[in-house]
Amino acid sequence: MLDFVVKRSLQVIIVVFLALTAVFFLIRLSGDPTALFLPPDTSREQIEEYRELLGFNRPLYVQYGEFVGNAIQGDFGQSLRSGDSALGLVLARLPATFQLAFSALFISLLVAIPLGVLAAYKRNSIFDRIAVATTVVGQAIPSFWLGLLLIYTFAVSFSLLPSSGGGSIMHLILPSVTLATYSIARFTRFTRSTMLDVLRKDYIRTAKASGAPTGRLVLKYALKNSLIPIITLVALDLGTLLGGAVVVEMVFAWPGVGRLLLQSLLNRDFPIVLAGVFIIAFIYSIVNFIADILYAYVNPQIRVK
Amino acid sequence: MKKYFAPILLLVVLFVLTACTEGTSEQPSKSNNNDSTTDSSSNNEESKKDSIVIGFEADAGTLIANTDVNYATDAQIRNIYDPLITRDSQTGKYIPFLAESWESIDELTWRLTLKEGVKFHNGADFNAESVKFSIDYILDENNGSFYRSRWANISEVVVLSPTEVEIRTSVPFPGLIERITGDLLILEPGYVAEVGNDEAAKKPVGTGPYKFVEWSRDNYLKLEAFEEYWNGAPSIKQVEFRYIPEFSSRLSAFLSGEIDLFKNIPVDSVQSVEADANSKIEEVSSSRINYLALNTHYEGPLQDEKVRLAINYAVDVDELISAILNGHATKMTGPLSKINSNYTETTDYSYDADKAIALLKEAGYAPEDITLTLDTPNGRYPMDAQVAQAIAAQLQRIGIKVNVQVNEWGTHLEKIRNREMKDMYILGWGPAFEPDSTIFDLFTQNAPYSSFYDEAIEQEIVAATKIFDNAERKEAYNHIQHLLVDTAAWVPLWQQGDLYAVRANLKFEPRVDEEIKVFEMSWE
Repeated sequence: MLDFVVKRSLQVIIVVFLALTAVFFLIRLSGDPTALFLPPDTSREQIEEYRELLGFNRPLYVQYGEFVGNAIQGDFGQSLRSGDSALGLVLARLPATFQLAFSALFISLLVAIPLGVLAAYKRNSIFDRIAVATTVVGQAIPSFWLGLLLIYTFAVSFSLLPSSGGGSIMHLILPSVTLATYSIARFTRFTRSTMLDVLRKDYIRTAKASGAPTGRLVLKYALKNSLIPIITLVALDLGTLLGGAVVVEMVFAWPGVGRLLLQSLLNRDFPIVLAGVFIIAFIYSIVNFIADILYAYVNPQIRVK
Repeated sequence: MKKYFAPILLLVVLFVLTACTEGTSEQPSKSNNNDSTTDSSSNNEESKKDSIVIGFEADAGTLIANTDVNYATDAQIRNIYDPLITRDSQTGKYIPFLAESWESIDELTWRLTLKEGVKFHNGADFNAESVKFSIDYILDENNGSFYRSRWANISEVVVLSPTEVEIRTSVPFPGLIERITGDLLILEPGYVAEVGNDEAAKKPVGTGPYKFVEWSRDNYLKLEAFEEYWNGAPSIKQVEFRYIPEFSSRLSAFLSGEIDLFKNIPVDSVQSVEADANSKIEEVSSSRINYLALNTHYEGPLQDEKVRLAINYAVDVDELISAILNGHATKMTGPLSKINSNYTETTDYSYDADKAIALLKEAGYAPEDITLTLDTPNGRYPMDAQVAQAIAAQLQRIGIKVNVQVNEWGTHLEKIRNREMKDMYILGWGPAFEPDSTIFDLFTQNAPYSSFYDEAIEQEIVAATKIFDNAERKEAYNHIQHLLVDTAAWVPLWQQGDLYAVRANLKFEPRVDEEIKVFEMSWE
């Protein structure tokens, strides 16, 4: 077990490092940011002076070496635009992103598990068909469009909820529902298929034959045994939810990491982009890491592999 | 106990979720209190709105003045800090503000006389020291001001008395007053020295009409009226700038009454605002101009003056304005707009396809032989990408093939700066009130933004920037404007129509310099 944990920890470090390296070179190849920060009438000599000041005139590998050296010490430099610590700016946005991701996760589980269980239990009924059809639609809807539709309906037409921004539970409802839609669809289908598998098992048939009440059978035995694969999927999806909140954060003006990252990318504020990628890659890897460890703990076969 | 488990868990989760949000802003109040329902005069006094929420697409970069040249930063902090000189909101003419008067002593010396009795938000006095400190702040490399390059000609600032300050320049610098008006805001020296730049950038202190209250990054900036403001207490007491990056969300927030005002509404959404009883559209012809650059640095047919003239005849600006911009633009014929201080009327190359084809023939081209590239940003200027497509279609009419290349804004700017543009591109320029900042920064060899260069014209431009005498200067610039039109240096398009979505009962007059001054607004 310990071997496995050590090996996976190393993998986490390598993944984060590779992600940072790839992003570093990609954004550097997208060009030099100095032009965007200076007034348009800045002369060429003055632009050069700024490039020197910011260190952009040195060879790329030198800049990369310096970046890695500083990043190892947790220093991602300062925002080019505001001079604040890049990592500090990202960390300050993290609670908002977490809040959005966890609310979405909570909503997804609340809806998907009962729906999936019922659909499995009433297999091939009209309810099952509607549930499956709905999940297909849920997975296909672009969150950008759904977000605007919800804003228009609940904020503009009925004035029930605020259209955008952060701050209260009311502000959280629309973005988390939008973000949850995709996960609801995935979790529902997954719960349904896992439950179907379990319900076909011998011990369930035996229990059924011995006259155990159906409701209890489904909840106590079948669902319990379906939870392990569901938990794994949830863990994997949490990473996606954290990273995939960018579009939702933009539409709903939610002050999270995704939005900061996108705006910094458009502003060519490299240090913030790198700090953001580091945080997201790190969280993503850690979540998967924990899921793997849990899974290995539950299922010893994996460790052997 | 078991049956209560789920509801309790739900409550706990909700509690945790609310607990980890920073800064709670209250519920949006419906700002449409002009409903014609039961509106008795007794509660009129109480229900009179004294706050405003303004939608912005981006957060400020920093709140310390004279540092970030970005529009979003400047437009917001100008409510906190005051300039020495401001402009008339409609004509763009200089108006004394914290400076009462200014004069040029000799070619290298300017003297400014300052207003007395002005106080900063922290009670400190405004005086010549504050002016010296604010300019020195820009010049000090350690402060990382992006304005520094524009102030490089300043050699020193000398305090003569509390109300008199002298600015000395290393070379004749007639454009200094424009720089002071466009860039300089006044900082409180004592406060910045005491708390340091980083803190002053988060909690600003100025002499402006509004005091800082709270700034939640990427969320909002809140200000409150400075009751002791030297120009009188502001009518609107609470101001919130709310950041909503996505346009559709911004429009929804406006239509649902959460925000009262926002700038840059696309022409195709004007209708939906006008149709709403609680809303109106305000428009002004901006000092920002849009143009089609014809690149003479690029090896191709546009290096030939006749071809450039032909393009001018083939592009139908009137059609673009009516069909693409729904009339929300003011046509230009030369390099300067009518707002510009030294504007003169120049030849209007109106649409003439036959003339265009004849000119191409004279230059030795059949239109079918020409293929041009046209670069455009997307969403930076009103309908820019659509305008580019329409120009391509217009040139296609006379047989010229055009490939439109749509760029992300940062890439577009970089291609221009690095001289990587091909034949043509679309760009905007402004706010432009002075001929220097347009003509010198666009049509000289080292200025990349028009991509047009002609040695003889450059010499005239350089000479004109050094003339102090107003009449003489005007004459020189008139001549240059005609030259640029005669050589078809570019295709002038229009002054942007700046469109604002505004709450119907808000008194608001859009300014030609794009500033958003809450002090000038009031609720009716």
